[in-house]
Amino acid sequence: MSLIDSEVGVRPPTDPVASMARPTLGRRGVGAVTEIFLYCLITIAVAIVEFYVGGFEPSNWWIGFAIYALWTLSTARRSTTPSLSVTQLGFVGDDGLPAGIVRSLGRSAIRAGVLYALPLLLFNRNQLLWIGLFVGAGLLIRSMPLGRAPWDLIAGTTMVETYGVETKVTGRALSIDDFKVDGVRKAQNQRARRMLQATGWGAIVVSLLIVWVVFSEAYQFISADEFEWGLLNGEGKRKGWFPRSGLFDIPTLLVGTLWVTGIGMLVAGPVGLGVAIYLSEYAKPRVQRIVKPVIETLASVPSVVIGMFIILVINPGLADYVFDDMNNKFSILGAGIGVGILTIPLVASISEDALRAVPYELRQAAYGLGSRKITVALRVVFPAALSGISAAFIVGISRAIGETMVVAIAAGGSGGTLFGLNPLDPGQTITGAMVSVGVGTDQVAGSGIAFQSLYFLGALLFILTLLLNVVSDAIVRRFRQAY
Amino acid sequence: MVAVTTELREQLRVRRSADTGGQVFRGLLTLALLISFAALVAVILTALTRSWPILSERAIDFLTSSSSQDPTKAGVFQGVQGSVLLAVITGAVAFPVGIGGAIYLEEYAGDTLFSRFLQVVVRNLAGVPSIVYGLLGLAVFVQALGGITGGRSVIAGGLTLACLVLPVVIITTQEAIRAVPSEQRQAGYGIGATHWEVIRSIVLPSAAPGILTGTVLSIARAVGEAAPILVVGAVSGFFQTGNLSFLEQMQSFFTALPMQIFSFTRQPTQTWGAHAAGASVAILLVVIALNSVAIWMRARLDRRLRK
Repeated sequence: MSLIDSEVGVRPPTDPVASMARPTLGRRGVGAVTEIFLYCLITIAVAIVEFYVGGFEPSNWWIGFAIYALWTLSTARRSTTPSLSVTQLGFVGDDGLPAGIVRSLGRSAIRAGVLYALPLLLFNRNQLLWIGLFVGAGLLIRSMPLGRAPWDLIAGTTMVETYGVETKVTGRALSIDDFKVDGVRKAQNQRARRMLQATGWGAIVVSLLIVWVVFSEAYQFISADEFEWGLLNGEGKRKGWFPRSGLFDIPTLLVGTLWVTGIGMLVAGPVGLGVAIYLSEYAKPRVQRIVKPVIETLASVPSVVIGMFIILVINPGLADYVFDDMNNKFSILGAGIGVGILTIPLVASISEDALRAVPYELRQAAYGLGSRKITVALRVVFPAALSGISAAFIVGISRAIGETMVVAIAAGGSGGTLFGLNPLDPGQTITGAMVSVGVGTDQVAGSGIAFQSLYFLGALLFILTLLLNVVSDAIVRRFRQAY
Repeated sequence: MVAVTTELREQLRVRRSADTGGQVFRGLLTLALLISFAALVAVILTALTRSWPILSERAIDFLTSSSSQDPTKAGVFQGVQGSVLLAVITGAVAFPVGIGGAIYLEEYAGDTLFSRFLQVVVRNLAGVPSIVYGLLGLAVFVQALGGITGGRSVIAGGLTLACLVLPVVIITTQEAIRAVPSEQRQAGYGIGATHWEVIRSIVLPSAAPGILTGTVLSIARAVGEAAPILVVGAVSGFFQTGNLSFLEQMQSFFTALPMQIFSFTRQPTQTWGAHAAGASVAILLVVIALNSVAIWMRARLDRRLRK
């Protein structure tokens, strides 16, 4: 008898032990152990029913046994529709043919009998020791060659896990109908699509909320009674940023932001680019495997920690040994250096990606002309990657502008700051000013214009960084060379 | 012929040894590398040495005591608690939404106007400074939804951080999904699987290491962030939690490790520097551990792909 009459059909293996793939030992063990615990639960349920209902003449052994036998059978015959699940189970007899209903039933009966004895022992003796026994038994059973558990040996069957289309032993050829999606799976597919689409909307909602919140509250700042446009340009008693005294001089903050960003990029630009060129052009794979994790670790150092480092080490150090007239705790210069340290990994990784994207043939061609390594790096690879590198710098600038905690900790000026151009003095950036308003939110929330300035600065920051991101995207798209 | 090649080789050797420009350039690159290494080492060493007075005397006590105005008693327990809760809430919200959004973008959306718009939105969201997310959290989760979150609470903070890492999770998941070879998908369709079955049984298992790496890194980032939760209203001073139930604690004042570092550094007296450094050591340990897990997972993925 042939299993499947057509050449289209999927044949069950003639030697199941040799040809079937099987799950790993670990997965088998876990499966067996959970299975046995399920059986324990059933045993307990049966015992509870017997205890309350009472009057069952046959002992609960027989009831449990019947439940187990049905359970085993149902798991074995669980799946007849084509599915990708690898856990479909089926039985193959020792003669290589799929086991019929009689043999399957026999196997289930033997298996249920053996398995039921284990939870019963646990139940009667009430000893945790038996759990260990079950775990061991489960592992042992599942580690036997392809499900040749004791009961399989007795019943002369082998449990097989099949992939994909179930081997249908119907005596007819598989037709297109066997592959058609049934209603349940179709509905499942639709449901998944709808849910995933909803999560996609999550991102849009977040961004719309940001834009709405920031700009509507910023508008309230502008439209407040105390507000005049002149305030933003220092037309007050003094020129400076003291929101609680009604001084909102934007140039004060812009100067601070420019200094911090400029100093930061002076640190991060050369160092980041140097690291990137070293990694992509000079480093051997072994060196790369060490260097890259270190750079990534630097990237993940929280900015508060860098801020602490700046006020504990860099600012006092600079004041003691380099600049005589510098504040020894807070300075714009120190904050800039800290922001630079934080930006190095970003510049390095984006630049490195850009350098790596330059095809190897260009380098080979240059070497073939007798170029030195420095010539290849600087005059072949670097120009070819220039668009990506400038994007890296712009993203770096955007990050430096938005960097908050280093400035809040190390730049000083937490209450406010006077207009000043000297980076050795304490000062304030846009983000730093937002923190100093934000820390006091408990006090100033709802108390008018000082609190609303938080959102005005947020809107300013949002526009600045968004512009920079758009520019960097445009540069990449415009000047990228497709190799 | 032989003479010519040896001569050429000789010339090349001479040029290579006289390549001072190349040597100097190489030296500069190594210097750049050393600077970034030195920065990392210096930060870690500073945290360790400055916190030594505290950690050598009461390392465990420092981690398990609540905040206090007395420097000899103050600890970071509330910060650790807050950071853990924040990380859990962030992960619980950002991972399903982020991974789901990424699957939608990669598998279902196609190349429509809507999906391209969504891509641009996500990319730009990733570039928005973290403090702006704090404004979002303050207006939406603290003020608008204050009834549910309890105002300036750990729930509001966690939701804010979830919004912050959402674009990062989406982008890294998208990259991981894109790396799954399309042959594997085709094979799935070939045996009659539905779209969802292909995603669940083929795409996701195959992309899992990449997705996990991205999500672990984003959690590390969320743990280290101070600016958004500062605006949302993490407590910067001292507070007592007292005997509140779990839900009440979730809805009341909170702080987090980075927030505590910030408030320690704002103390005028020098003694609190050690506290800031001690808390920094704690947070560095967490972040570096998470990072190592991510790096290890990616290394495993690389090995698997190379096979």
